[in-house]
Amino acid sequence: MKLTIGYLYGDLMNIYGDTGNIIALKKRALWRGIEVKVKVKSIKEKLKEKECDLFFFGGGQDQQQNIVAKDLKTKAKIIKSEVERGVPLLSICGGYQLLGEYYQPHKGPKLPGISLFPSYTVASYDRMIGNIVIESMFGKLVGFENHSGKTYLKEGGVPLGKVIKGFGNNGSDHTEGSIYKNAIGCYMHGSLLPKNPKLADWLIKKALEVKYQKEINLKPLDDTLELQAQYAAIKKFS
Amino acid sequence: MKTQFAVLFGKAIFWLSRLLHFGGGSAAPGLYALNLDPNLVKKLSSSISTNIVITGTNGKTTTSRLLSHFAKTAGLQVIRNHTGSNMERGIASTLIQGNGDYDLGIWEMDEGAFNTVSSKLNPDVIVFLNVFRDQLDRYGEIDTVVSNWSESLKKVSLKTKVFINGDDASLDKLQKGFKGKVQKFGVKDYKIVGESLEHKKEKESLDFEAKNVRLRGLTGSSFKLSIVNCQLSIVLPLPGIYHIYDFLAAFAVGSTLGFDGKKMIKSLNSFSPAFGRVEKLDFGYIFLIKNPAGATQVFATITPELKKDDRILLALNDNLADGTDVSWIWDAEFERLQVTGNRLQIICSGTRADDLANRLKYAGFDPKHIAVESDLESALKKAKQGLKGKLFILPTYTALLKLQSILAESGIKNHYWKEED
Repeated sequence: MKLTIGYLYGDLMNIYGDTGNIIALKKRALWRGIEVKVKVKSIKEKLKEKECDLFFFGGGQDQQQNIVAKDLKTKAKIIKSEVERGVPLLSICGGYQLLGEYYQPHKGPKLPGISLFPSYTVASYDRMIGNIVIESMFGKLVGFENHSGKTYLKEGGVPLGKVIKGFGNNGSDHTEGSIYKNAIGCYMHGSLLPKNPKLADWLIKKALEVKYQKEINLKPLDDTLELQAQYAAIKKFS
Repeated sequence: MKTQFAVLFGKAIFWLSRLLHFGGGSAAPGLYALNLDPNLVKKLSSSISTNIVITGTNGKTTTSRLLSHFAKTAGLQVIRNHTGSNMERGIASTLIQGNGDYDLGIWEMDEGAFNTVSSKLNPDVIVFLNVFRDQLDRYGEIDTVVSNWSESLKKVSLKTKVFINGDDASLDKLQKGFKGKVQKFGVKDYKIVGESLEHKKEKESLDFEAKNVRLRGLTGSSFKLSIVNCQLSIVLPLPGIYHIYDFLAAFAVGSTLGFDGKKMIKSLNSFSPAFGRVEKLDFGYIFLIKNPAGATQVFATITPELKKDDRILLALNDNLADGTDVSWIWDAEFERLQVTGNRLQIICSGTRADDLANRLKYAGFDPKHIAVESDLESALKKAKQGLKGKLFILPTYTALLKLQSILAESGIKNHYWKEED
């Protein structure tokens, strides 16, 4: 089997360890004999239907994020129709914000998103920094958040999980992230996937199922080190 | 009166801290004294003839130490924050403990503290070494760090001499904001691209340029230094390209201060690195790792030297001084530590030892060769047990401090604050 990961704006949106998610997806597929290709889809690069089986979209610096926001409009249609088709996507921090309806900065006009998630983000003067633990459909997930934007889910929005420790979407409603079909957005760096292998495998499984149109049962891996890292972090921070 | 009292009070804290073994007194005395007199740094530093401020993500301590070595060779009295305590409180602590007259103050300064503290020292020279991603939780993004520096530079006297790493494109912005004299140093055909140093040929205009670089493993490097009308041969007893930048910066400042170039170069023979920076022990080496760029450079330097009986002890802490976010280990290229037929034993330690072990697995190491021992003292014991080759110890900052005290207590070396400046 083959898996193509579309790393959205990987050259601009790769802040602080988010590349670890690509490493985790790649290795966990390779260890199961699945061939992996990572395609960076950046500014002005055309995105085609069925070109990628799984998307990753990380966070970036403010300046880069503005450039990306403009270009994202040209890829919005394909990204949305692919997600409708069931293609899995993981977005973190800045990537998550841009996939919502809009981002309202302190000054100036709203930065429009592509409305994949029914959410919007408002700049704040609170910096929400620290380790975060949430309870989700993948069990407990642990990561590190670092954001000042506060994200709110609109009616019909489904959070990725409930905050046990940390701030989450906005620091007040105890929600973290958002999930729509097989697309996930959240604030969890860490890196997220290496320490939360269940989520990593879910993304790979969904990607292959959509691509090959059949149920896929991934070969189990020895996750001793992964789970030890997850357990130690959860124990330390919650 | 207020200042005198603050100094006395600070000195008392310093002696208490030593007496009760709280630590070396490298930060606390300054912290308390600053509470009594917030203008302490400005007042005490004004009596020093020349003040130099050195900032940047990596290489501050080594650059300061080199410059101090050159200055002492030139017969100057030097004061500097040599323990690496580089926030205002660390600088205040150093000033409090000072006695006598100094010709030169050499101040390594935290990237963030630079914006609030450098003006208090009224610096004659400012050095910007580089800017890499480091502790996003503390400093913010690279763009933010550089724009803050730019703003701070606008307030600096035009007489100040500014030195910039000419190979780091992120620093270009600084030159635009400052109207005074800016000089650049760098290595021919090298450019800093993102987190790493790449071989890249492009037109360069450098005032202090290293050419024909030959790396000589862990012993150092040799190169030609090209300055205004002359070329000098250098043998640098520090390994890796990254240390060449530290040397160039220190040499450039030395030249500006009127030190004799040949004497500076000759004095390299008697230079020893700062604690934890390429520190040699009987049984191996210590290399501080603290961010992706620095760690990757260390990996690139040691990998060619690794023999099959060697071992690596990595220690990752997530205390405030290390950065509480350990995501950075996924940007550091641990993959580079892989050597052909790798059967290297790796011991992971520190408060986030489990994260390290997991990172190594994903970097391609066989989990069978990875041991986890959070407690640093036990980890060191384990690493040394039956060791036939060398042990390479790579700790983050607070793990390094802990390691120093473990080594000092076992009589292997001095406490870092007792080390020669």
